[in-house]
Amino acid sequence: MAKLRIQYENGDPERVIEFDPKKAPFHHDGKPGSILDIMLGHKVHLEHACGGNCACTTCHVIVKQGFNKLGETSEQEEDLLDRAPGLTPTSRLGCQAVITDPDAEIIVTVPRYTINQASESAEE
Amino acid sequence: MSRPTTIAHVTRIHDHCEDTRSLFLALEKPLKFAPGHFISIAIPLGDETRTRPYSIASSLDGGRAIEICFNRVPNGRGVQWLFDRSVGDALEFTGPFGTFMMERAPEVEIGLIAEGTGVAAIRPMIRRALESGSQARMHLDYAADRNEHILYREELEEWTRRASNFTFETLIAPQEVLYDRLSAIAARRWIDADADRTRQFWICGVGAGVSRIRDLLRGAGYERRAVHYEQW
Repeated sequence: MAKLRIQYENGDPERVIEFDPKKAPFHHDGKPGSILDIMLGHKVHLEHACGGNCACTTCHVIVKQGFNKLGETSEQEEDLLDRAPGLTPTSRLGCQAVITDPDAEIIVTVPRYTINQASESAEE
Repeated sequence: MSRPTTIAHVTRIHDHCEDTRSLFLALEKPLKFAPGHFISIAIPLGDETRTRPYSIASSLDGGRAIEICFNRVPNGRGVQWLFDRSVGDALEFTGPFGTFMMERAPEVEIGLIAEGTGVAAIRPMIRRALESGSQARMHLDYAADRNEHILYREELEEWTRRASNFTFETLIAPQEVLYDRLSAIAARRWIDADADRTRQFWICGVGAGVSRIRDLLRGAGYERRAVHYEQW
């Protein structure tokens, strides 16, 4: 079984999901087998304002362990990540980062801020 | 941290054709957004609520009312829920969101490429540019699989009459070759015609064809950040 450990920058309790990647999709948003798909399918919330269509950055996660175990990044994902607040070298969009390795142990952090538009950032 | 939600009420329904509709929404509080932004509508389906994005098809105009535009898609339960709304119904959304936007027109020639309802995101960009008095040349290539899927045609024609710097052309082609032909037009117009690579582009449509046009333009020498796109 693969394992996805989710940590929250805002201090929310950690969540751990054990899953069989072969059983993807687990939900209906994001790429099948993506971090978003896995989380939603196990009733762990992750924002996805665009419906998991790689059109925003609200599902931005920072991969702390297992970055190389994830599927490749597309140019579209890179273009969006360029505009994500708090971008790091191991940032991914949850809707695009697919886990296929059945032995993968992935740790991600959900950033405190995932805003990606001007008016909301001005309010917060 | 949950995002603030906005409550909206349907004030008017306009059917562009049998499978494409606009909802006009009155907002309980003003919304600030940029041309190209989308909202995320909470759509109740059975025992769950799904989030579905819809481009804001209208301009800011005080931010108390917006228009969204959508079409029926096979097995699209979310969009069917929207088709089932009536005047007076409430809906709830978060946003605006998105990185595909044009807050102000650049001082270089602008290439706009839209397919079907993808024009919803492009339309407020054109309006903003024209209203701001931008003198930048701006051309829209707008493609659809059927003539009735060319939306806002009268408005686009009116803009070409009013503004000498705006032009548009339409392409009607079967869906399976639509992006091939749109790519060929883009190549002819923006790559083969001259060596100018200072232009900026905004492309909005459905599927991998959007990425193909992006790659075509970037591969021809346009700056990566000069080619903006939204692929649904």
